[in-house]
Formats: sequence, structure tokens, C-alpha cells
Amino acid sequence: MRLITFWLGCHCANYFAVTSAIAVEALFLKIRNQPIAPAIGDGSAALTGILLAISIPTIAPWWIIVVGVSFAIIFGKQLYGGLGNNPFNPAMLGYAFLLISYPLQMTTWAGDFVTFTQAFEVIFNLNPVDALSGATRLDDVKTQLALGKIISELSVHSTAQAWINAGFLLGGLYLLVRRVIFWHIPLAFLSGIVITAFLLSFGDTEHYLPIQNHLMLGGTMLGAFFIATDPVSACTTPKGRLIYGFFIGMLIVIIRTFGNYPDGVAFAVLLMNITVPLIDYYTQPKVFGQ
Amino acid sequence: MFDAFNNGIVINNPYPVTRVEIIQAPLPDKVVLPLQQRIGAEAEPCVKVGDKVLTGQLIAQTPDQFCASIHASISGTVVAIDAQIIPHKSGLKSNCITIESDGKDEWIKNKGVGDFLHCSRETLIEYLQQSGIVGLGGAGFPTHSKLKKATNCHTLIINATECEPGIMCDDALMQHDAREVIRGVEVLLRITGATQVFIAIEDDKQEAYHSLLMFNHNERISIIQIPTKYTSGAEKLLIKALLNIEIPADELAINHGILCQNVSTVKAIFDAVVEDKPLISRIVTVTGDAVTPNNFEVRLGASFRHIVTLAEPNNKPHAVRMGGMMMGVNVATLDVPICKVTNCIFVNNAKPTPSIQECIRCGQCNQACPVNLLPQQLYWYAKSENTEKAMEYNLSSCIECRCCDVVCPSHIPLASYFSFAKALHRQTLKAQKKVYNARKRFEYREYRLVRNKTERTEMMARKKAELKQKWQATRLKKIK
Repeated sequence: MRLITFWLGCHCANYFAVTSAIAVEALFLKIRNQPIAPAIGDGSAALTGILLAISIPTIAPWWIIVVGVSFAIIFGKQLYGGLGNNPFNPAMLGYAFLLISYPLQMTTWAGDFVTFTQAFEVIFNLNPVDALSGATRLDDVKTQLALGKIISELSVHSTAQAWINAGFLLGGLYLLVRRVIFWHIPLAFLSGIVITAFLLSFGDTEHYLPIQNHLMLGGTMLGAFFIATDPVSACTTPKGRLIYGFFIGMLIVIIRTFGNYPDGVAFAVLLMNITVPLIDYYTQPKVFGQ
Repeated sequence: MFDAFNNGIVINNPYPVTRVEIIQAPLPDKVVLPLQQRIGAEAEPCVKVGDKVLTGQLIAQTPDQFCASIHASISGTVVAIDAQIIPHKSGLKSNCITIESDGKDEWIKNKGVGDFLHCSRETLIEYLQQSGIVGLGGAGFPTHSKLKKATNCHTLIINATECEPGIMCDDALMQHDAREVIRGVEVLLRITGATQVFIAIEDDKQEAYHSLLMFNHNERISIIQIPTKYTSGAEKLLIKALLNIEIPADELAINHGILCQNVSTVKAIFDAVVEDKPLISRIVTVTGDAVTPNNFEVRLGASFRHIVTLAEPNNKPHAVRMGGMMMGVNVATLDVPICKVTNCIFVNNAKPTPSIQECIRCGQCNQACPVNLLPQQLYWYAKSENTEKAMEYNLSSCIECRCCDVVCPSHIPLASYFSFAKALHRQTLKAQKKVYNARKRFEYREYRLVRNKTERTEMMARKKAELKQKWQATRLKKIK
């Protein structure tokens, strides 16, 4: 029961984000004098909205969602010429923008389980935030480690986040089975996380987060199956996808461990987006007869 | 290692039939025979309007060594030699000979070559040219010129893969004329002197496979089944699959001692050499959702309408396509003649084409590409007309099989973009060559002017020196 209300709670922001994403996209297409219906119909704006809403805290205020979604759609996509022409992942661009501009609201995690009504009230500012909020688990761990504590003294686990990640893993496997995405990026992404986390925590288990927590906390599974696999901004050659995914995974662990931000999926993806043309050029498959 | 069957796409025959038959189409009232064949110069008619011709009579031949001869496919009267619409994607008109049938189908008595085992290679090759044999798989490459190059041939590959889904004419041919096919292969063995022959047949044609097995008693001929996958019939990919030899993009298979021939060409060779019949008819598949699919043996030059009518088309508006559903060309009207390369006519109910969306680089196309290209990258460059970059991504290796078109979720006509980019590249090269030549000419002119000038000054100097010498000599004399 708690799971179901939690599930609904997480959805409150999603519906709002999707609506505003479609509205912004339609508005901008109108300004650009482009046909509106086919572009909305392909669902890409709705997808950007949902991915962004999933990435930001469940209880972020409504204007955070609107600002983030608008930035993602306008600066992440439409200014480059619309779908298919954007070098960066629009949702992650929106997320990075929000994280840098509004760090407080973006790192507030709603305790562990939040219901739909609670989420609704907080998002639309009907109820004071304090009743629910706390730092996210990754943020918390980082702060505590910085204060000189060691892993065994901390609670590094979060059941809610583990559930979320398990859900994304299942969803991702479904996409794989349906052949919507190819296996290269998720596999390389997760191996990048596992290998880097292993190398870090191998000698020093007390100061570095263990592998399983890297996998089950934050946006790992969401990133592996839903974010990094965005075909437009990802590598397009089979070999390139492996390199691309691996380095995103590696960068995430490095940012989580040494960076200033609690989670690094957005920055890792954006950084690797920049390298896509280079990787694609040097990983062309061998053409028959050449 | 490159696996020839790793890529490509599986498309089952969209309009299967329970029994593959060959229906003899009735004699057409009129045939239209184009003088322009697929490659080479236009043939020159050797009959005049009003002449009586017999079936199998030579009516046009060409001084071009590259082309094959053209024969009357029915007996009757030549009524016109003029421009007619031919089945070509441009819809252009081309010169044709029109013969009206007298309904008798009287054959000319051709002087054959006799027993082919006693003929020389050259005699047979020349005879094939005179019999008008060209590649019947769809490309229409003249068989004799291919054979002429095959001086050092060790392996013969008979392509019985039926190049595209939906086409059944080769399947039908093998089921009904397996003996003739094997005998035709033996003629080719005699011509090329190859030591081994592989007949490659797709594994969905079990009946044809068994018919061939039944008639094959030659230990040099092996019949090999390959997976049914689109583009496995492409020459170089087939060679890779059978022999594991990868022919480089800029080389011909024949330079590696391998000769490929289509199975219906082999049958035509048999007809010419053993039965003394020139190429005047062929088997055509008529298929699509607007007709009852079947194969028809029909005289060349009969109109599409002539056999489409036999396939009981419905009364809805149709979209007609010559050749396969993949690489064929759309034709605007059914009133075009059947040519040597017309292996299939698709008659479908006209459907609206799905709207084209943006490329999201999903990569489905490069998974399907049989030659391992990156269509998603090529598309980007072809669209922006950046042919230089497209060539870097091996645009020239594209075989335009349209696998990428079929799998594209955005319905982008990728192959059309690529063939456009190729043409654009050729044009750029031509222009570049022109500029290069002009510059060379200019440079030579500059060089010539400078050379003339120096030569002139040198000559003046020499003359001056000579004069001076002379003058000094006379002065010396005077002093003495």
C-alpha cells in the first residue's frame, strides 16, 4: 500500500511536467513557423518532460518544473532546429541548468516515501516544505564522509531508492526486449560504474561507497536505460556506444566521489555528448569491400 | 570476420502462393522492342517498316561490342520504328521496333552451333551475343562481355537466390526446368573452364532445391542452400558467404577468377546453345495485393497489361512497380513493354505513403545494412550535400538495397538520398576535373610563353654573339 501511494506521489510531478513540456514545445514551434501536430505527436517533448520530472526531486516546487522543462525544450532542442538536431540530451541539459541555478530545491529529497496528496500540496506550495524534506541519500553520504565519518558508521542504503532503481531496471529490460534500445549503452554504462566503483572501493572500503550502493542509489538505472540511450545525442556506431556508455558510468562514479554535486548522471551524460562526433568518427565499422 | 548473413533483413514473401506455376501467356497482338538496352549504345535496326519478320529473326544489332542483339519475339510485320515509353524510372521515351503479330508464330530456322562440347570458347561467346543473351536477374549486363573477361575463371557461382522477396520467377524456373538449368551450367563450364560450380539457393525453395539435386549428376556442380535473407543474392555478398572471399569495393569478382551468373540467364544460355533459340521470352512474376500472384512465360515486348490482365487484377487504383519491392522502379502506366530485365511486376493497391519524420540516429539502419555502412551518418551528409564527407563514410560502397529504408522508424527514403549524393559526387568530380584541366592548360600556356621568351632571348643573344665574333674576326683580319 505504501508503495502504491509512493508510486502515485512520484507521478504528480510527471503529469505536470509533461503538460508543460508539450505546451512549451507547441509555443516554440508556432514561433518557428513549424508544423505543430507531427512534432507533438512523436512524443519527444512529453519524453523530455517525463525524464526531467523523474530526475528532479519529487517535491520540487512547480516553477522549478516549468523553468527546467522550458530550458530543456527551448535551449536543449528547438534552438538547434528541433528533434534530431540537438547535440545534448535536452532533459539532462534542463536538469544541469536547474541544479546549478537552484541547488537547494534540487537536492531536497522527500524523506523516503511520499504520497500523491503530499506531493501535490508541496509542489503547488499549499503546505510548508519542512514537514517532508531531507537531503538525498547520496548527498547525505557525501556530507558525512566529508565530515570524517566512515562508510560503516553511515546508513548508505535507501529502500525507496532501491525500489525506484529496480523499477527502472525492469523498465529498461522491457525496452531492450522490445528492441527500442540496443544493449550496448546500458551494459557499458553499468560496467563503467561497477569497474570504477570497484577500483575505488577495492583498497578502501571505509571511504568509498560500495558497488551495490552505486548501482542502487541516485539515477543509475534511470541513466543507464532511459537517459544515456537517447539516440539523438548518443553515439551511433556499435563500438562507439560501448565507449560512450562506459565513460558515462565512469564519470558518474568519479563525480559522485570527488565532485561537488551528489549525483553525476546529468553532467556525465552532457560531457560525453560533447565527445560523440569524435567517437563516432573513429569507431566506424569496417565496410564490406573496403 | 565479416559474416555475410549477419546483416540484411529477413522479409518473407509478402504474397506467397501455394504452388509455384509457370503460366504460358497467349501470344501478344503486338510487341514493342526497345533498341536501347540497359548499358551500351542503342542497337541499329536491320529491318524496315513494312518488313515481314519471323519469330527469332534478328531485327537489330549493334556495332558496340558491349551489347547483345535483338530478335523478333513474334512473327508478323514491322509497323513502326519510333520513340515509345519504356519501363524506366525517368518515364522517358526511347526508340523501339513495333511488330504486329500475324498470329502464326512462325519461327526462323536458326543455324545453331551444334554440339557445344565441340565448339571453341570464342565461338560460343560470339553465339551468345548473337542470341541476345543478357543477365536476366535484373541488371541486364550482357553475358558475352562478362564471359569474355572470364579468361582465368576457377569458380562459377550460379545465383539462384531470387534477389528479392516476392519474386518467384527463378523458383518457378528451377522447379520446372531443372534439367535445362544443369545443362546450361555445363555449357558455362565449357566456356569458362571453371573447376567448380556452386548453385546458391535460398532455403525456402525446397522444391526447387530437390529438383536441381535430382538432375545434377556432375561432380563439379554443388548445390548449396543459404539462409533466406534479403541481399544475400548481391554478388559480392554471395561470394563472401560461399567462398569467404571479400572482393574489394573497386574490383570485379571476375578479376579474382569468380564468375556469377543468374539462374535464368543459365536457362537462356541453354536455350540458345542447345535449342538454337535466341532470347525472345522470359518468365515474369506478377504479384502484389491487387492481383492473384503467379509466374507467366511471356514474349519480350508484350505490354505489362498483357500479363497483368491474366493475373486478375481488382478494379481499385494500382501502384505498379517493375522489379522487386525493394530495388524496383515505379512505373506510371501498364502500357510499357516487358524487357529482358523485367523479372517481376508488382501491382499493389495504391496506398498513401507514410509521412517522413526526423532522423533520431536510432541505428536500426546500420544494424540492417548488409555492407556495414552507417546510413544515419551518411544521411546527415547526403542531406547537407556534403559529398566529400559522405565519401569518407564509404558512400560508394552503398548497394542501394533499401534495407535501411524498410527498417527506418521515421520512414526516411535513405537509399534515394544516397543515390542522389552519389550522382552529386560524380558531378563534382567531373567539375573538378574540368577545373583541373583548365588549370593545366593555363599553366602550360604560361610555361609556353615563358619558354618562348627565353628561347627568343637566347637566340638573340646567340645571334649577337655570332655577329660579334664575325665582326671581331673581320677586324682581326683587317688588323693583320
